[in-house]
Amino acid sequence: MVQNRHPMGSASRMAKLRAVSSHLPEMTLTNHELARLFPSWPADKIEAKTGIVERRIAAPHETAADLATLAAQRLFNQHEIDPEQIDFLLFCTQTPDRRIPTGACSLHLRLGLRPECGALDISLACSGFVYGLALAKGLIESGLANTVLLLTADTYSKLIHPLDRSVRTLFGDAAAATLIEGVDAEQSSIGPFVFGTDGRGADRLCVPAGGARLPVSPSTADAMTDGAGNVRSAENLFMDGAAIMAFSLTEIPKAVARLAELSGIGLDEMDAFIFHQANAFLLEALRRKTDLPRSKFIVCMSHHGNTVSSSIPLALEGYLRERTSPASVMLVGFGAGLSWAATNVVLN
Amino acid sequence: MTAFYDGLADILEVPSATIASNLSLTDHNWDSLAIISCIALMDECFGILVSGSDLAKCTVVADLEALAPQTVSA
Repeated sequence: MVQNRHPMGSASRMAKLRAVSSHLPEMTLTNHELARLFPSWPADKIEAKTGIVERRIAAPHETAADLATLAAQRLFNQHEIDPEQIDFLLFCTQTPDRRIPTGACSLHLRLGLRPECGALDISLACSGFVYGLALAKGLIESGLANTVLLLTADTYSKLIHPLDRSVRTLFGDAAAATLIEGVDAEQSSIGPFVFGTDGRGADRLCVPAGGARLPVSPSTADAMTDGAGNVRSAENLFMDGAAIMAFSLTEIPKAVARLAELSGIGLDEMDAFIFHQANAFLLEALRRKTDLPRSKFIVCMSHHGNTVSSSIPLALEGYLRERTSPASVMLVGFGAGLSWAATNVVLN
Repeated sequence: MTAFYDGLADILEVPSATIASNLSLTDHNWDSLAIISCIALMDECFGILVSGSDLAKCTVVADLEALAPQTVSA
């Protein structure tokens, strides 16, 4: 375990990641169920390629905000956190209950947070957790807040056409709740950060219809079959897997190297690496390209799938549970946008 | 090229010895998953990023062999 070497100076209020809890919906979607729908992809092939055995799927009436509420309540109970302590709520989702108002405001009520608590939504996908940490750190270390609750939750299953194997094999629904609080310290235990954005790839991972640019209409609901046999309409999630692979192999190794340089901490000094849990194949390609040891490279998706903004905190929750000593962990998020971000956290 | 052929054999789910220039891709699981896998393989073996659309046009191993040097020289 190494300390982050920035910023140095006298003791002041620094952000610290205190605890993570998650919530998964009850329903499962197994590889055997998918193999019945897509006979050319047997269950063992799906597992071998994706590293996923089953995904957790929200019930028809269950929303991302519902999952987030349960994750937050679990965090409060598991870690003896008084909701009254929280003075800022960040809610990262791309599947909100409503377009207006902000989902964080409804969650604020459901969680019984105090009226003086700020609340806002972040619309980011698989990079959202790292961006959320950056915002929490900024709020705390600038003195605007002391205790930040970061909720991540998504129900991509509701956006996926049942006959689109390119995404249905990957994504699962989940929520995570993370508490970041201010502590008196000389060094920050979250950061530095590396960010990246490339809007040229916006249509490589998207839901084309449903916003102001292309409102839903009878024509946007028309499902079509693509060249690979996947079925979807403009109201469904579309992912160009080849483009996402190329983007990831191009940008993520550079971001990892830049973060190592910025932090002054060698990759060999880190205790663990938690990348967005996209799928096992992509993760292995990134691990090999960044030359990271398998023993420190966390893979945690086999029983819940790619859970978008919650994939990193879900893996972090497991790591926090199993570690026996303080640790320095690199977190790397990347996905729709195209958007990416990386940071280091010190876990005491 | 050995590493590339071994990797390609894994992707196509055939023995390594089967890989030859005239081996049909389309007869051996050359689907979207295979194309994504091949992007990573070519990046690792040749240090190049080939687009999914270029790979989708390939029908035999020779098309992949031709793609790699051309992209390298480009």
